[in-house]
Amino acid sequence: MSENVTAETLLDAEFLRKLERLAISARKVQLGLAKGERKSKRKGSSVEFADYRDYVQGDDLRHVDWNIYGRLNALYLKLFQESEDLTVHLLIDASRSMAYGTPSKIGFATRLAAAIGYVGLIGYDRVSAEAFSQSGTSRLIPCRGKAKARLLLSFLASITPEGATHLAQSTHTYVLRNRAKGVAVLFSDLMDPDGFEPCLRKLQQSGSDCYVVHVLSPDEIDPPIVGDLRLVDSETGEFIEISSSPMLLKRYKDNLTGFCEAVRKFCLARGIGYIFAPSDTSFERLTLEVMRRGGLFR
Amino acid sequence: MNAMWTNFVTSVDKALNAAFLAPPFLWLLSLIPIIILLYFLKLRRTPVVISSTLLWMKSLQDITANAPFQRLRRNLLLLLQILVLLLAVLALARPFVKAEGSAGRNLCLLVDRSASMKTNENGRPRMDLAKQEALRIVDEMQRGDKVMLVSFADKADVLCELTDDRPRLRAAIEDIQPTDTQTKVRDAYFVAYSLQLTTRDLHSVIISDGDISDLDEIVPRNFGPVRQVSEQSTEARARFYDLSFVKVGSSVKNAGIVVFSLREPSEGTTGDRQVLVLVHNADTEPLSTTVTLSFEDTTLAVEEVSVEPGQDAELVFRLPEIGEGILKAELDHQDDFPTDNVAWLSLHPAAKIRTLVVAEPTATGTYFLQRVLTPDPRVELSTIAPASYSNSDDYDLTIFYGFAPEQLPAGTLLFINTLPKLEGLGSESAIEGPPILSLDAEHPLLRFNVNPSNVSIRSAMKVVLPDWARPVVSTTSGALIGDISRGAQHMAFIGFDIAESDWPLNLSFPLFFQNVLAWTTRAALSADVSIPAGKPLTLVGEPDVANATITLPDASKEQVALDPMRPVYFSNTNQIGIYTVAYGERKERFAVNLLDKVESSIGPSDKLAIGQGEFEAERGRIRQNRELWRYLLAGALCVIALEWWLFSRRAWM
Repeated sequence: MSENVTAETLLDAEFLRKLERLAISARKVQLGLAKGERKSKRKGSSVEFADYRDYVQGDDLRHVDWNIYGRLNALYLKLFQESEDLTVHLLIDASRSMAYGTPSKIGFATRLAAAIGYVGLIGYDRVSAEAFSQSGTSRLIPCRGKAKARLLLSFLASITPEGATHLAQSTHTYVLRNRAKGVAVLFSDLMDPDGFEPCLRKLQQSGSDCYVVHVLSPDEIDPPIVGDLRLVDSETGEFIEISSSPMLLKRYKDNLTGFCEAVRKFCLARGIGYIFAPSDTSFERLTLEVMRRGGLFR
Repeated sequence: MNAMWTNFVTSVDKALNAAFLAPPFLWLLSLIPIIILLYFLKLRRTPVVISSTLLWMKSLQDITANAPFQRLRRNLLLLLQILVLLLAVLALARPFVKAEGSAGRNLCLLVDRSASMKTNENGRPRMDLAKQEALRIVDEMQRGDKVMLVSFADKADVLCELTDDRPRLRAAIEDIQPTDTQTKVRDAYFVAYSLQLTTRDLHSVIISDGDISDLDEIVPRNFGPVRQVSEQSTEARARFYDLSFVKVGSSVKNAGIVVFSLREPSEGTTGDRQVLVLVHNADTEPLSTTVTLSFEDTTLAVEEVSVEPGQDAELVFRLPEIGEGILKAELDHQDDFPTDNVAWLSLHPAAKIRTLVVAEPTATGTYFLQRVLTPDPRVELSTIAPASYSNSDDYDLTIFYGFAPEQLPAGTLLFINTLPKLEGLGSESAIEGPPILSLDAEHPLLRFNVNPSNVSIRSAMKVVLPDWARPVVSTTSGALIGDISRGAQHMAFIGFDIAESDWPLNLSFPLFFQNVLAWTTRAALSADVSIPAGKPLTLVGEPDVANATITLPDASKEQVALDPMRPVYFSNTNQIGIYTVAYGERKERFAVNLLDKVESSIGPSDKLAIGQGEFEAERGRIRQNRELWRYLLAGALCVIALEWWLFSRRAWM
């Protein structure tokens, strides 16, 4: 990681207080693993009334509405809305390319992940985090409760970008391993030689409510390229030789815009939330406004 | 295939020669690929690590559809460097165009003032037309132009060195007067050519009617390396001499006397002398007129003559015994060029060659000398013994036989078996029976194939010749006969006693003495009955006369100081007519004539073939080679400046 980020510096106290007013919103009602703070598809034993149904043999007599039996002489079961927990999956691209830029993309991505994770923890959601890198994935086992915030922040601060990106492969592996549906947020620059589509498709197939935070550095958006250069790929070490010219720069920017637009359209078509996040944008604004507008927070 | 290639190479060569003065420099264009190569070699790209080259690669692919050319197209600096090289190489190859005007150029104006320039052109002499052309060129001079003015007839005169002083040039042009002499452009051309070697961009302009008699004599091998002219086009040759020909005049109406000469009756016959007159008709119309021959204003004969255009007619007159005087032939015809309608001959009896033999009268050699000299009608022979000899300048030829005086007299001297006291000349010992090994056949004393090589000589002096002397007949160890002339005085020696050899019995002996007589100044003088205009008169002074007064045909008089030791030359003979030279009481008359067929053919030429160039007469203004290398070089400098400017702000790139 290019910046010297520690668990303490990842999020400041003032900002944490602002985050505490937020909660993660899942646009879909998901089936959770444990009882939690979320509405569940299951009817269960919470305090919130949902419906009645006829008694069938074997039902728990404790759930029979005896008042209705007294009036109607018929056995009805009183149904309550089951409340469950929500799993927040934080998927962070930790390939070498994420270390690039000022401020670095990985730094920006981890701070965002920390903010979202913190909001999840205080909302008593299960939060799991995983960093994709070439040497394998490092992950944070799902945890719950504000007390685990320190654990989350330490994990995020320890992420070091290295190697090449294999987003699709990593996502696939992750989805197979974590069956719990919930909210999945992917932090990446999406610069995968194989294209961003396979990765997003896998993510969508997980059934979770998906968000993509597209992190780009200002150097990528407006490259300060002058003269005859050899551009070396930070991940593969491959290089190309260019002689910068206004025409080439314009062409690059056009391509970049086209790339971002393609991602946005792809996401829109599949109900994936797309958040464009240049690494030099105000972190607070992005977190408090953009993400709320994007539907991730409520 | 081979022939096609040869044709192709030849035509390319022609095209290049027509556009460049130094086409070999175009080979330097082969440096362009080297520049491109260097450009790619020198290009050090700064490595920059970026997150991903994905988008760059895509962008590059979009742009570089055909990479090498695209790369070149974007590399403006490289293109500019190639442009600089291109301009510099083209400048070295010295391209030129034929252009009017003369800004910044050096001009050498060669103005003809020969006899034909006196031709009447609608009431004005042709000379005026030439002056008008010259003045026009001077008036058209631009800032930075310089003009050198040379006038030429049989000789060239530099009237103004290279100058931009227009008033002086105008005055000098106005002052040019036509002469009665032939046109010889050689001297003027060499003046211009030598100036061309030292002056950049010199352009020569010949203003003439083109009737020039010595065009064939101008051969480039006389002045520098010969280019391979035979393979070059006319334009290429003309370009080499950057010269323009401005034609003046148009009249062709002329007939003239081109030969007027005296024929002596052949030896032994008693016939009369004959006079030959050759009339040339340069007009386009046939000529029918009369030729009048007169002697001292007395008409001797009038004969009719008819000449077809461009043809000659010969008239022969028999000349009675009339003695000394001026014979005049006149063509009774009015034309535009009257100068050649009259010619003169100065008739005078052959001058006597006063000859003195200083020798013992009884010596055998004296006898041989008298035998060979007495029969010649030109010789007035005196013999004197060495004992009674006193120095005398009265003799044209003095022969010292076995005796050398302390002080040398004037006139031609021949020393036999003795040597005069001259610096570096002496004899060491005698050679017995010297064989004759080599002859200087070019020497005037050995004219008419005098060849004494089979002569036997008993003994001869072993002569040591100084550097300035010239051996005429040589043996194993030196000269037997030598030319020891000092300055204008002719002197020779015979290094053996003629009585001690069988030479007097040999045919070469009288011939040799004929040559000795012809070698005398007096003999040279008496031969000329007519002198071409412009050639000097040879004046031989009387012993007591210090100055000669010369009356020119226009009645003006000139004084010439005489030298008793040597002849004096009078060169102001640009007018035709009778020159009267008065040496005190004695008078001598010389006839100076034009008698030149080229000059009489007054019709102007459209073309001049000088050296190996052929120059068409210019129409309108003078067109000359204008070199473009300055502009190319300036362009190259601009491009270098632009390149530097671009280089210094590469951010733009």
